[in-house]
Amino acid sequence: MMMPNAARTLAAVETASIRVAVAGNPNSGKSTLINSLAGTRLHVGNWPGVTVEKKEATLDHRGRSIALIDLPGTYSLSPYTEEEIIARDFLVHDRPDVIVDVVDATNLERNLYLTVQLLELGIPVVVALNIYDEAEKKGYKIDVRAMEIALGVKVVPTVATRKTGMGDLLEAVTGATAKGSRNVPRSLNYGEDIEAAVQKLTADVARRHPALAEKYPERWLALKLVEGDHHVLAEANLSDADSLAKDAVGHLKEAHGEDLESLMADARYSLAAGLTREVLKRPAVKTTELTEKIDRVVLNRFLGIPIFLAAMWLVFKLTFDMSKPFVDWLDGTINGPFTRWVETLMGFLHGPEWLVSLVTKGVIGGVGFVLVFVPVIFAMMFFITFLEGSGYMARAAFVMDRAMHSMGLHGKSFIPMLLGFGCNVPAIYATRTLENPRDKALTALLIPLMSCGARLPVYVLFTGAFFSAQAGMVLWSLYVMGIVLAVLVGVLFKRTLFRGESPVFIMELPPYRMPSGRSLAIHTWEKGKHFLVKAGTYILSVSVLVWFLLNLPWGVENKKDSFLGKAGSAIAPVFAPLGFGNWEASSSLIAGVIAKEIVVGTMGEIYVKEIEKKPEGPAPTFFEDLREIGTSFAASGKEAFSNVFSTFGIASLKAEEKEGRATLRSVIGKTFTPLSGYAFMVFVLLYMPCVVTAVAFRHEFGTWKWFGVAFVYQTVLAWSAAFVIYQGGKLLGFGG
Amino acid sequence: MGFVDIALIVLIVTGAIYLLYRSIWKKRGYCSGCSSSGKCR
Repeated sequence: MMMPNAARTLAAVETASIRVAVAGNPNSGKSTLINSLAGTRLHVGNWPGVTVEKKEATLDHRGRSIALIDLPGTYSLSPYTEEEIIARDFLVHDRPDVIVDVVDATNLERNLYLTVQLLELGIPVVVALNIYDEAEKKGYKIDVRAMEIALGVKVVPTVATRKTGMGDLLEAVTGATAKGSRNVPRSLNYGEDIEAAVQKLTADVARRHPALAEKYPERWLALKLVEGDHHVLAEANLSDADSLAKDAVGHLKEAHGEDLESLMADARYSLAAGLTREVLKRPAVKTTELTEKIDRVVLNRFLGIPIFLAAMWLVFKLTFDMSKPFVDWLDGTINGPFTRWVETLMGFLHGPEWLVSLVTKGVIGGVGFVLVFVPVIFAMMFFITFLEGSGYMARAAFVMDRAMHSMGLHGKSFIPMLLGFGCNVPAIYATRTLENPRDKALTALLIPLMSCGARLPVYVLFTGAFFSAQAGMVLWSLYVMGIVLAVLVGVLFKRTLFRGESPVFIMELPPYRMPSGRSLAIHTWEKGKHFLVKAGTYILSVSVLVWFLLNLPWGVENKKDSFLGKAGSAIAPVFAPLGFGNWEASSSLIAGVIAKEIVVGTMGEIYVKEIEKKPEGPAPTFFEDLREIGTSFAASGKEAFSNVFSTFGIASLKAEEKEGRATLRSVIGKTFTPLSGYAFMVFVLLYMPCVVTAVAFRHEFGTWKWFGVAFVYQTVLAWSAAFVIYQGGKLLGFGG
Repeated sequence: MGFVDIALIVLIVTGAIYLLYRSIWKKRGYCSGCSSSGKCR
């Protein structure tokens, strides 16, 4: 197998670079194929619709630069969805040198429907017969040579996840652009009637509109005119479209009725079906596959939602149990040795007192307290990546789709909402896959109710302080609350602001796959990295600004009298009925508007005095600190491992309290009660979207209007929900 | 508090505000799920 940067030979170089469009059905493995070819880390997932925009990667092969353009997955080149329009516009107007058509070998007939349309573009095509290993496992025998003859293009079996066939594919791509290449896509025959119309239209357009014949592939344009493709007709601006169509397709309409688009679709399906029959031999006896067996249970009408909820609970329990020891380790390291080192260094440099305070209490107190929770975020992203890669996320969307449809909601909307569990920002951008602008706006409005990773630090802090024995269950309850409220708010909006019918949503369910370790590692890192970037950018900025706001007017003794303290005190009465009417909580919520994890960072800065605890006796030396960090890290790893298998997997919280070290968690434990702590978590879950999400709203919709709606309804909802929980809990005797 | 302190404070606060503006508005809050080019669009 030849790898991308294989030895360069003296092969004839036609042009310095080749532009390759990678097209194919959703979930056929386009992004994985590009990642395998170019070593990039484009986001992939075992569910349809991961790529909603063009993405590009480049590599060198045989001295030529190859630019791979990852097009959104589409089933056809009709102009009905955003993905189809993006893919089609690129292919027609940008005219890549080669199209790599990624075909799912386990689902040949459906994939060939797109192949038929790609061949019409008159651009050299190379078919990557991907997921070939699974097709073989199913007992499929694909006659690759017969397929090449039938299509007139090179067909290369590939397994992108294992990088199999990548060298052959690159050879085929460079070969397709070489002089004298035999890669000439065959013009598939649509039958006598349609072909006659196409021929007439081709000749008429060439004669009457030569400029158009230059702009579009002539056969493709003729086929689109036969179909009456409104997008092409509008774009081409044909003054005599009616007479052209009348001349050429009049007899077709008479023979087949008005709907020529359906006629063409039928013809293409027939071609795809015929091709499949020619080249594919299926095993005589169809065995029940593992995917079908699992789906019988997972998608069961009655078991589907309980299984989804149980899977979520398991994810939260494992996340909490696995990450907790590392959270404690980081907490101890950042607030212990690391702070000591920085203080010593600042003392050595004779930095002014205020600067030492800014660095140790502002930056370490703010950014440090957020960084402490990075293990939780990485653990959560690992499990989300696993669910995406395994194919279960698509089932979750399917299961929820049924529930949402029964309440008049658009089922496809749940896909961007699921993305929102990682981060609300890309989820807002993912709404562009929805065709209907109203559904798009409605979905975007509901996305902030999906609990993103940024809220995890707040949950983990409060759950650790009050509910350590039921941590998984409490986290689960918050996520489920977000989903349930999203459904209820969705129903309310659908009946008020967004009246109208939801279009039918057909969702493809990919087969279950075990994600590879490499893929899990890469995508967990890509998702988790975001939080490290945030810590180094806006969490750092806000921590610095919060420190100044807590120390202005300059020299203020009591933080309550600072600018931030006064602002917090001013709005604190609003939160009094919710159980957290103190200035500390209010100030943290104000700062958390920038990003929700800043709530924790601000609390770290506010409570830094209470958390501080000077070691008794001489401070440990630098090397003693290093040894302690290493030893405690190893102990954390051991504890995390045993926690996964332990029913009572969160003993580390208690151990810390036994040591008597004052931590942010123990301070929170004294400031809040379990009931007010839970109400606070619910408020953080629901209150206005963070500023970054607000910016995403503005960029995606070109207006602040929808963010304004989200701001108002979420603030009202957050206050009401926290009020009901706190006051209701008190009435039920759960204490204040 | 001397002139150097005040100048340093102005510098730090300006830097923090600029970093905030750049990361949130100009970079559109780059995050997971966004393209590898570092922008969400």
